[in-house]
Amino acid sequence: MRRTPHAYVDNLMTGGALGVPLWGLISVITLPLMSGQRPEWSAEQMRAHFPALLGWVLFGALLGVVTPGLSDLAEKIFGPRSQALPPASGEKKRIVILGGGFAGMKTAECLEQQLRTNRSAEITLISETNALLFTPMLAEVAGSTLEPSHISTPLRSSLHRTEFIRGRVTAVDLENRKVFLAEAASQSSTGRLEVPYDHLVFALGSVSNFLGMSSVEKLAFNFKSLLDAIRIRNHVIEMFERADREQDPLLRAPLLTFVIAGGGFAGVELAGALNDFARGILADYPNLNASEPNIVLVHARDRILPELSESLARYAQEKMEERGVKFCLNARLSNAQPGLVILSDQEIRAQTLVWTAGTAPNPLLKTLPFEKDKRGAVKVDSPLAVPGYTGVWALGDCAAITDANTGKACPPTAQFAIREAQIVAKNIAAQLRGRPPTSFHFDSLGALCVVGHQTACAELSLPFLRTRAVRFSGLLAWLMWRGIYLAKLPGLERKIRVLMDWTIELFFPRDIVQTIDLQ
Amino acid sequence: MPATPTLDTTPVAARRQLRLEPLLGLLTGVLGGALQSRLLLTPITRCILLGAVFGLVFGLCFAKRASTPGAGLIWGLGSGLLLWFLLPDGMHLWLSRSIGSVDMLSHAEDQFPQLVAYIVCLGMPVGLVLGTLGGLRPNPGQPRFRWARAIMAGGLAGTISGLAFSGWEYAGGFLPLLEGLPAFPSQAKAVIVHFLIALLIGAVFGILFQRDVRSYGSSMGWGVGFGMFWWFLGPLTIFPLLGRMPIDWSADQGAALFGSLIGHIIYGFILGTIYAFLDRTWVRLFIQSDPLNREPEGLGLHFLRSIEWGALAGLVGGVVSSPVMFATGILPKIAGVDTSFGGLRGLSLHLIISVLIGMTYGLLFRNEAPSFGLGVPWGFLFGMIWWYIGPLTLLPLMLTGVFDWSASAASALLPSLIGHLIYGGATAVTFLALEHRYKRWLLLDPRIAARELRRVRPVGTPAPALWFFALGLGVLLPILLG
Repeated sequence: MRRTPHAYVDNLMTGGALGVPLWGLISVITLPLMSGQRPEWSAEQMRAHFPALLGWVLFGALLGVVTPGLSDLAEKIFGPRSQALPPASGEKKRIVILGGGFAGMKTAECLEQQLRTNRSAEITLISETNALLFTPMLAEVAGSTLEPSHISTPLRSSLHRTEFIRGRVTAVDLENRKVFLAEAASQSSTGRLEVPYDHLVFALGSVSNFLGMSSVEKLAFNFKSLLDAIRIRNHVIEMFERADREQDPLLRAPLLTFVIAGGGFAGVELAGALNDFARGILADYPNLNASEPNIVLVHARDRILPELSESLARYAQEKMEERGVKFCLNARLSNAQPGLVILSDQEIRAQTLVWTAGTAPNPLLKTLPFEKDKRGAVKVDSPLAVPGYTGVWALGDCAAITDANTGKACPPTAQFAIREAQIVAKNIAAQLRGRPPTSFHFDSLGALCVVGHQTACAELSLPFLRTRAVRFSGLLAWLMWRGIYLAKLPGLERKIRVLMDWTIELFFPRDIVQTIDLQ
Repeated sequence: MPATPTLDTTPVAARRQLRLEPLLGLLTGVLGGALQSRLLLTPITRCILLGAVFGLVFGLCFAKRASTPGAGLIWGLGSGLLLWFLLPDGMHLWLSRSIGSVDMLSHAEDQFPQLVAYIVCLGMPVGLVLGTLGGLRPNPGQPRFRWARAIMAGGLAGTISGLAFSGWEYAGGFLPLLEGLPAFPSQAKAVIVHFLIALLIGAVFGILFQRDVRSYGSSMGWGVGFGMFWWFLGPLTIFPLLGRMPIDWSADQGAALFGSLIGHIIYGFILGTIYAFLDRTWVRLFIQSDPLNREPEGLGLHFLRSIEWGALAGLVGGVVSSPVMFATGILPKIAGVDTSFGGLRGLSLHLIISVLIGMTYGLLFRNEAPSFGLGVPWGFLFGMIWWYIGPLTLLPLMLTGVFDWSASAASALLPSLIGHLIYGGATAVTFLALEHRYKRWLLLDPRIAARELRRVRPVGTPAPALWFFALGLGVLLPILLG
């Protein structure tokens, strides 16, 4: 028992109490067994051990007092026991993770589990935001189904032994092994500006790539962050407010036309969500007709959702068209002007343009001398280390990763980022312990995409059918989408909040309160 | 909620006041000794001297722990039982090699009135008086006592427990809480009195133990201890007085009321559990909902992990205890048949039940023990409670539709009590090992370490006295009265 000073009476009673089971264990079972007899299992025979019960209770009580008494006496004579000293700070290995997305957060979590009570390493996570954004549900925030904060998990409360720094990384000195942070907004700030490291993990994610079209970059909404989703939602409401008081149908049309560039998962889910939102709130705007809202999805290829099989992509397109979404396929966005979106073959009069057509790794990587692929992502070896730079690792959207088994390039999705994080954490821990690293290999579990109200498509790789993916569509796929992503959303509290949002949405119209003034 | 103060933080003023307590303990002990002498018809000088020594020692050694009437009562009851183990006659008998174990047991049965007297005349009054005085001491670290919460949660828990209890017993015309009272003219009156007593026990439970009860497990333990104490106070002492009958504290009377003892233990178990539910709900709704008091972590993974660890711990407990259960013949009984396959079928059922009960252990006893030494007694207590609930009550009820709470039935099942104690101990050790293994690295985070410190029961609460009282009597009484 852990000794508590001066707890003699507590120990007296505890010892006495423990004497009772000790009587059963020793006098009734063990001693007869040791003397070659069978334990005595009848009540009468047990009663024969009654004197021993008295003895064990008194012995336990006495032991409870004498043991701490002698221990206190020894402490008085020989002095207190020496406490184990923590390792000197200089001996500690500093692991710094850049980025608080799926890749960064999961790396920190896995490192905490790998290192457990190992105090010889410190973990620091640097991120521009203080929460992990659950991006699969971002379209639902833009579509006013979910409250914005319900899909974000605070990094500080999710991590236990990781130091968290909210800040923007401006430079990395690979030679002196230091990370530099941007100065805080306040001039009087004395916050840390540089963070030394022994292991550096790049999990910076990606940013929108406007393919050099500065006018699009200036006019289009991004769709990467929580703020982007909040802005889009408020902008849609703003457009409806303006359209409601506009008398001229020609001027009203561009206000109610919403163009989404990009037919990947993000673009399709956003188009579906905005379509539901725009048509759902019409009841609150009596001057507008049901035919007026116009959601247009522009995509450069001949079919949307290239990540899914063709039949599912066609299904998604058909369903979305049934619900009122228009498609401009094989069309490239070439320019944008206020109130006008210019495609390769036509022009669309629209006050709203959302860009989901391309991403590029974080611009910080451009400043570093790593070998990169054509997207600008850092090339890594099979254990996800950056070749030629000891202790530098990269994963997620900012890394060009090749599967060690198949030799195929890994897609920049959250599903892969999480598995990559597990391998990076494992390999850092292995390197600290002087063990060999593990190569990265992961078979995709499949993909899911919501295309509208209670409609989704899913392509899943089942463990017993590795060679062929199983396809689902409609309500079943939608239920799978909700079930799987709700399970993956970090934190029980967030799960409950999202579940409540979904339940409320079943019975009540979507909220049209503007939370940001965009005028 | 603010943490209960740790040891040796008594302010100087309070230390001065502590000098009063040995004197008060001595006086109460003298009065208790005089009462004992009158009731047992024993020499008054000896009783008063014994009472004075008991009160003085209690005042000197236990006064700091008796910080509330409830804490004082539990320490007093534990001390009263310890006195019975230590009493000169008993020591003499134990040390004497010439007396056989059977003679010694019969001598101990003869000493049963002394056991009741030490609990009712010495332990209870001395503990309550010094606990009340301790409650008047300024103790800024203690959580605020709330009368409304204590009476409402306790009273409601008592009534609901009475309801659940009477549901079992009403049909058979046996109301254990009324045992010892003279027969009522009508069954309606008996039921009303039954509920009044249940309400009273519940409300007193809330008032006495609001500060000591932390989780469902400890509340269950306190309920069982309080139920045992109430058996000594009610059926054995007050009820005969109410019926204008002489008090009979003999072992024979104890054996006659043994069914009522089991009833009180199970009533206490239900009362403690329901009280914890109501009290925790109250705390959650009216105290922890305040942002100033709110725990950063709500229900969640911790809850699920407790079930998972409890299941694993229960499985280990089931495996470890199965040889004893088999040897004592409980396994075939669990299977419901006495064939050669009964053992195997019984073993499977035993393991399934062990896992389920282990899950409840995980939920009930998390955050109750800061160390193995302070966690294992809860396990033993849990095992003992399940002996009363399982083989003595539920098992016969499921197999035959009736149960036998007589002393002889308990005596026949005595060997399986050891198996249940082993189960409880093994479950507690495994659960604590899993919990410690997980928390070891979590505690590196100072926020989590501080939170755990707030949650975990500190040293200095009456838990050790409760373990000794409940576990000691839970094993001793079936042996003594069987």
